[in-house]
Amino acid sequence: MDRRRFLRCVGCGAAVTATCHTDLIPELLGGVQNACAFDLAKELSSVEARHYRKIEGGGIECGICPRRCRITDLERGYCGVRENRGDIYYTLVYGLACSVNIDPIEKKPLFHFHPGTTAFSLATAGCNVNCKFCQNWEISQSRPEQLDNIDLPPKAVVDICLQRNVPTIAYTYSEPVVFYEYMYDIAALGRENGVKSVMITGGYIEKKPLAELLRQLDAVKVDLKAIREDYYRRIVDGKLQPVLDALVQTKKAGVWLEIVYLVVPTLNDSDAEFTELSRWVKANLGTDTPVHFTRFHPQYLLRNLPMTPTKTLERAHAIGCAEGLEYVYLGNVPGHPAESTYCPGCGEILIQRQGYRILQNNLSGNRCHACGRVIPGLF
Amino acid sequence: MVVKRSGAESGGEFTKDHYRALLEAALPMLSGTDDVSTAVKKQFPGGRVGMKVNCLTRRHTCTPVALTEALLDVLEDAGFDGNDLVVWERTNRELQQAGYTLNASSFGRRCLGTDSRSVGYSHVFYSFGDVASLISRILLEMVDHNVSLPVLKDHSLAGLSGGLKNMFGAINNPNKYHDNNCNPFVAHVSNLQPIREKHRLTIMDAVRVQYDQGPGYSTDYIADYHGLIVSGDPVAADRVGLEVLEHFRLARGLPSLAQAGRPVLYLASAQEIGLGVADMDRIDLSVRIVNEGGQVRPGRLF
Repeated sequence: MDRRRFLRCVGCGAAVTATCHTDLIPELLGGVQNACAFDLAKELSSVEARHYRKIEGGGIECGICPRRCRITDLERGYCGVRENRGDIYYTLVYGLACSVNIDPIEKKPLFHFHPGTTAFSLATAGCNVNCKFCQNWEISQSRPEQLDNIDLPPKAVVDICLQRNVPTIAYTYSEPVVFYEYMYDIAALGRENGVKSVMITGGYIEKKPLAELLRQLDAVKVDLKAIREDYYRRIVDGKLQPVLDALVQTKKAGVWLEIVYLVVPTLNDSDAEFTELSRWVKANLGTDTPVHFTRFHPQYLLRNLPMTPTKTLERAHAIGCAEGLEYVYLGNVPGHPAESTYCPGCGEILIQRQGYRILQNNLSGNRCHACGRVIPGLF
Repeated sequence: MVVKRSGAESGGEFTKDHYRALLEAALPMLSGTDDVSTAVKKQFPGGRVGMKVNCLTRRHTCTPVALTEALLDVLEDAGFDGNDLVVWERTNRELQQAGYTLNASSFGRRCLGTDSRSVGYSHVFYSFGDVASLISRILLEMVDHNVSLPVLKDHSLAGLSGGLKNMFGAINNPNKYHDNNCNPFVAHVSNLQPIREKHRLTIMDAVRVQYDQGPGYSTDYIADYHGLIVSGDPVAADRVGLEVLEHFRLARGLPSLAQAGRPVLYLASAQEIGLGVADMDRIDLSVRIVNEGGQVRPGRLF
């Protein structure tokens, strides 16, 4: 296969991750129908970034995320994908996806957002934090020139969705906040064409860009990585409070919100933390906000720790429910009953899941089929 | 040690011969030998030598091609095969923009970026302290010894960009390590096992020193120093570089780097972990002046 051009499967649900593994692609595509062709990008993009200001005396300050990187000429921010050139700030990844796939929406996970549908999922290089457990570190912790990127302008993304009847675009895998301009423009174009957008994020974003972005989004899933500031400092290389602020802002904006809490053995798995988290969600977001406690797998810089025991996850689930949260799920434990949605009113099973599959959906519109209770979300 | 050229014109070009004269003065003295060839053999006992240049800011304040070629010539004249000499940087584009001619073939002096096809970074992480990074396979697999060949300049966050900071170009994720004046990250990156173990020399270009508004190029803050800072101790080299930077800042009426909010904190961190000496009064500093005829005499830092 020509190295400058490779095929990418869309529309069949097969996982074909771009990143730097293009050598794998021919075999992954063996026998695949419905493949699309994309060109590998030869250059990084140079689209002017939004949300930055020039500093008197030289340099710029990035206003996308709470890091507020101050960047002099020819330097990049912490994310590695935004660069100052002559005090004009550029995004280097506009239209340059390093990973694309069509995923079940349950994989994001979004359980109360059009269950059983798919999302055209894409990422660029870069991230504004550095979680020691990152499962996508090969793209999130890379600079764009360290990866193979494909030319995928916003119109192409929307066109693919329309051609393949994919109802939603998901900005995911790495950290979409760092490809803000690209995400925003796709979402706006998608909205004009009836394609929804969901952001899968760590929620480390400043208020103003988030407010503008939320007008284009239909749902947000935030990885709330811990409820302790110390964990954010040591394990995430970020700060907790801005994430909490972003959660509240998203909820207030009326955009559908779900939360994932990755339970890492010994680091954030105490009863006290599960309780604190549940109480914070209840007090600030409401009991109807879904919370997913998900299993950690040893990855990246935390290979020394074991997988999260199911018992720990069940403990988190029990505490969340006891604190009054109405939609508490477990993740990365395929087949567990807590993957499914139950009616908080009558206890009836509403959506039965196994992994990313929907086994049965008993909702009547957005109501429990048994007691008629309204179930929050977009169904 | 510091070697300076006398009689150079202000803003004048330093040719390969000028640089070579400085290197030939510095290397024997640094190695305690009488001639360049013996000095080179003592510094680099066989194997392949890498030269990590710094081309972030393109031609203006990047490692001059003339300096790199002078060093390559010195090494070849001392018996190294061109096949065993590798000039390297983070990306091919940066090398080309700085005026280097790429050679990723199997013959002759190599010149390539880590982003060259089939190169890239290690598949395992190297970590020390607050740093965990993949390291360029050029450093890991293509060379046995490494020379850090930076340009002395001001840095908006670290305070100073020299030989230690240059090694940010050997890792995959340097953008993660700029908080807190790049401290202790600059020290910890240079203490990653392969970087520390393969380091042999810092040869820092201080011919024209950008003492403010760095690391990007700014014509308003360039001063002639006409020297090289050469040391086996990467911390001492940067520490002496700091003296030079602060000298020009003071002369121009600028605040010290610490007063300007970017103290060079990583030097103390580097000393703390045993990477080298950061206390100026513990550095055995020699200064030599080389005249147009190649004669060498003792001199002063300023």
